[in-house]
Amino acid sequence: MSEDVSGYLDYMQESIRKVEATRASRVGKSFKRMTAEERQQVLEAYHPDWKMDKKRELRVGTSKGELMPLEVADILEAHSTIEPDKIDLSKIDYDVDVLVIGAGGAGLSAALLAEENGIAPDNILIVQKLRLGDANSKMSQGGIQAADHPNDSPTIHYLDIIGGGHYYNKPELVEAMVKDGPGVIKWHEELGVLYDKLDDGTMQLAPGGGTSRRRMHSCKDYTGLEITRVLVDEVINREIGYVEFTSAVEFIKDDMDQVAGAVLYDMDSDEYKIARAKSTILATGGFGRLHIQNFETTNHYGATGDGIVMAYRAGANLVHLDSTQFHPTGSAYPEQIVGQLCTEKLRARGAQPLNADGELFVYPLETRDVEASALIRECYGRERGITTPSGVKGVWLDTPLIELINGEGTIERQFAAMFRNYNKFGIDIRKEPMLVFPTLHYQNGGVEINVKCETSVPGLYAAGEVCGGVHGKNRLMGNSQLDLYVFGRRAGKAAAERAKTAKIGRLNLDHIDRYEKLLKQEGVETERKSPILLPEYRGEKTLEHQLKIL
Amino acid sequence: MTRLAYYPGCTLKTKAKNFEDSTLATAEKLGIELVEPERWNCCGTVHSLSTDDVMHHLAPVRNLLRMEELRDAGKVDSRQVVTLCAMCYNTLKRSNTVFNTDSDRRKKIRDNMYKEEKEYSGNVEVVHYLETLREMGWDKVKEAVVKPLTGLKVAPYYGCLLLRPRGTGIDDTDNPTIMEDLLEALGAEAVGFAYSQKCCGSYNTVHMKDVVADLAYKILNHAAEEGAEMLITACPLCEYNLGPMQSEVEKKHPVFDSIPVVYFTQLMALAFGLGEEATAFTGNTPDPRPLLREKGLLEE
Amino acid sequence: MENNAEYVTIYVMGKKHEVPGDLTIMKAMEYAGHQFTRGAGCRGGFCGACATIYRKKGSYKLEGALACQKIVEDGMYIAQIPFSPAEKTTYELDELRPDANTMLEYYPELSRCLACNTCTKACPQDIMVMDYVQASLRGDIEQAAKLSFDCISCGLCAVRCPAEIVPYNVGQLARRLYAKYIDGPSQHVLDRVEEVEEGKYDEEITRLMKASKEELSELYNNREIDLK
Repeated sequence: MSEDVSGYLDYMQESIRKVEATRASRVGKSFKRMTAEERQQVLEAYHPDWKMDKKRELRVGTSKGELMPLEVADILEAHSTIEPDKIDLSKIDYDVDVLVIGAGGAGLSAALLAEENGIAPDNILIVQKLRLGDANSKMSQGGIQAADHPNDSPTIHYLDIIGGGHYYNKPELVEAMVKDGPGVIKWHEELGVLYDKLDDGTMQLAPGGGTSRRRMHSCKDYTGLEITRVLVDEVINREIGYVEFTSAVEFIKDDMDQVAGAVLYDMDSDEYKIARAKSTILATGGFGRLHIQNFETTNHYGATGDGIVMAYRAGANLVHLDSTQFHPTGSAYPEQIVGQLCTEKLRARGAQPLNADGELFVYPLETRDVEASALIRECYGRERGITTPSGVKGVWLDTPLIELINGEGTIERQFAAMFRNYNKFGIDIRKEPMLVFPTLHYQNGGVEINVKCETSVPGLYAAGEVCGGVHGKNRLMGNSQLDLYVFGRRAGKAAAERAKTAKIGRLNLDHIDRYEKLLKQEGVETERKSPILLPEYRGEKTLEHQLKIL
Repeated sequence: MTRLAYYPGCTLKTKAKNFEDSTLATAEKLGIELVEPERWNCCGTVHSLSTDDVMHHLAPVRNLLRMEELRDAGKVDSRQVVTLCAMCYNTLKRSNTVFNTDSDRRKKIRDNMYKEEKEYSGNVEVVHYLETLREMGWDKVKEAVVKPLTGLKVAPYYGCLLLRPRGTGIDDTDNPTIMEDLLEALGAEAVGFAYSQKCCGSYNTVHMKDVVADLAYKILNHAAEEGAEMLITACPLCEYNLGPMQSEVEKKHPVFDSIPVVYFTQLMALAFGLGEEATAFTGNTPDPRPLLREKGLLEE
Repeated sequence: MENNAEYVTIYVMGKKHEVPGDLTIMKAMEYAGHQFTRGAGCRGGFCGACATIYRKKGSYKLEGALACQKIVEDGMYIAQIPFSPAEKTTYELDELRPDANTMLEYYPELSRCLACNTCTKACPQDIMVMDYVQASLRGDIEQAAKLSFDCISCGLCAVRCPAEIVPYNVGQLARRLYAKYIDGPSQHVLDRVEEVEEGKYDEEITRLMKASKEELSELYNNREIDLK
């Protein structure tokens, strides 16, 4: 792209001129925050969670009758990928104390804590669908919340979380998060995570949507990347066992109805492997690649909701699956990066959402569900967004304001990732606004856990995005990072304790047969199988001519 | 103040910080500002001896390009780059000569110099700080002396790389006088000895320590036999092999004359009266301060 | 979504394909029928899984990019490097110190650096790789940490380095050393951890845990917002 030619098309540039015209008058100005009633109104009218025709009641299992997105119901109302009578459970490939499924922030933390709590490194096994660290954790940009500043406290943090979650959060899980928070930051610093600091050595903290204090710790806009790569480095240093490109597809149980390991699928050799474990930790992350309501997503390639499928078949309780988080500012242009995350920290540092006429139309830091709904309303309700050539609608996010408010050079330093990614497509976000629209981002609900990360099935622990009840029905920015390490650590510790005394009985896959019967009983007729492991992105014409010979 | 481009080299920033500190202080006293570029890389310290190895010239030539950029930006007043470490001096100077005299290799070096906005023109002169002093004039150096090092008997140790090969060396290979002239200007007594250019053992100090022990033994002993109380040097590796490595010498030769070894700029800083931070004697092993106090050249 | 872009010809590991010209390399390969297991990760430029090398039509230059970010061009010859073989040195961070020689001790091949800048040329993140390798070589851990920060470990530098250094492993050690020992922990974090352990906030949080939804709602909607 030449220096003078912007990545934006002419008609977009016209709108950008309007944005530039209003910019000076918008510095320091804000928009009134919504009242509780106004918030409820915009949610009900515009938030995807309220589109009842895009949801249905689940027909099988303990959550039967619960409303959830069609796509989620589809993977739960599906057949297993394995046939139990064709699986030989007598030949054990991996026999360990602690099995960790998933190697994002939660899984890695769990493995490290299991080792710190007395499990030998070669008695821990991490199985990972892609590579160690390939997870949504790595892509988190803006920060991690923890109440360690003198003018903040875990109590204030508690209130922010439970209010933001619409009071659906489990109180004891919120308590765990806010109290463990500062300790997580301390642990990170001991491991050598490079947090942004002020000149006096204190943490550089930012606000976030729905937070009443500055509480967001960050590592530029590569927060998740920095933390994840340090944890991966440490896992390798401690020689903890792991195997990559190997997915778990079903849990194995024993005759005491405990989860006793998992059936694994080696994605290189197409073979199944058996892992037996005294404690199993589920840390498989979210479901963005199910593309709920056809939304693009911020999630990584493997986020296909495998964990809730496996857990449900094994009898675990699921909660709050009717609630999905859409990040208000996903990229809407250029087409190549539609759906990718534009961190909330942009707004925390001053960027404002504007319509096509350059007008501010919402308080920039409402909670995510409210903010997303307001943006959807502006585009589809009030028709004051910009439509791109590929049909995507969006509003402007005035990033040049960040430079104006915080000084020249702020974007290059603190938003290095965004600056770089947009530069590749000819857009200089220091001088031009971004075009944004809500994008599918986070699984608010999931497997139910207690403060020890135990699920309702003995032997099965869960941590991270796969769990439900922590964030209620709306997660605040920076709390999912906190969630990963708080509950990842607790899961590792609890799983290690249990593994020291647990006894595993005879292995079986009876629960798979039972689930199959349940599907039949409830009249679910389908060819669908789950977990799907990876989304299907191959071209139409290729798929139409598929032939499997090798 | 005359501003000259300055190439520190890796060791000057870590193990030989005292060499840099004493140099910068003495340079300031003499009216020279040494300007270090923001970016520079390791010189490679093994300049390439074979004519078909071009890769090993990239590192030194890239540094010369950095120096040229300083001049283009108006940050220095001459085309010279001043070096301190004898190895860096030798590597940069010889690569510069190859670049300027061999058109074939010059082209290859240019073609493989990635990610640079400009090409090196060849128009940088590599000098050693001793040459800068000589050019300035020894009387100027003498003028800056407030406390002459009277009665101090110092043997100049040249090592391998300051004087060889011809064309690269800063003085006559057989009968150099540059360090002697400096010592005279500082008021000290220069003590000649036969081993002033004998190799200290160089990198053998890593895995063949007894080779170094034997060489250091000969060098130190001969200097002491001729009456020297101290050695000066211009190379961090020589300083290491003759100074801190004396503990290895002792293992093989329990009876030997342990005399201190310092950088020439540290004695300059002492004679110029620049204080503790400039003389930076805490970085030297063995400690030269007892001797200097004995000679009345250092306050308690 | 309708694709009205013109089609271009690309060669994926030698095989010719016609694909819409506005797709990224990753989406173009999927359009052509590849299903990624290796070579795709976050799909957003953060994880380095999709390291790709290619040559453009008529050019001898070997270029590197991330498949998820780079748009295809007519005549592009593409190959993926989903894995670069690089054994990572293991160490116990607690036992290391940020001394001048630490980096060289754990990655002695650093001394082979030729300052040729091939690594910088290969980097899709515009990092000055050679500079942080050189900083590591001479023991300037702070500079190595800061310069290498945006690294996503895609491996392109490592596969191209003639001295066979693995820069991203070097950078990782530099950053952890810098963060732990030179930058050091923030005191207010340590203070707060102690306060929590002493139970300072137990009572007030327990009260909130027992509060009804109405009480919480009242507190939440009227809470003080202090964003200074």
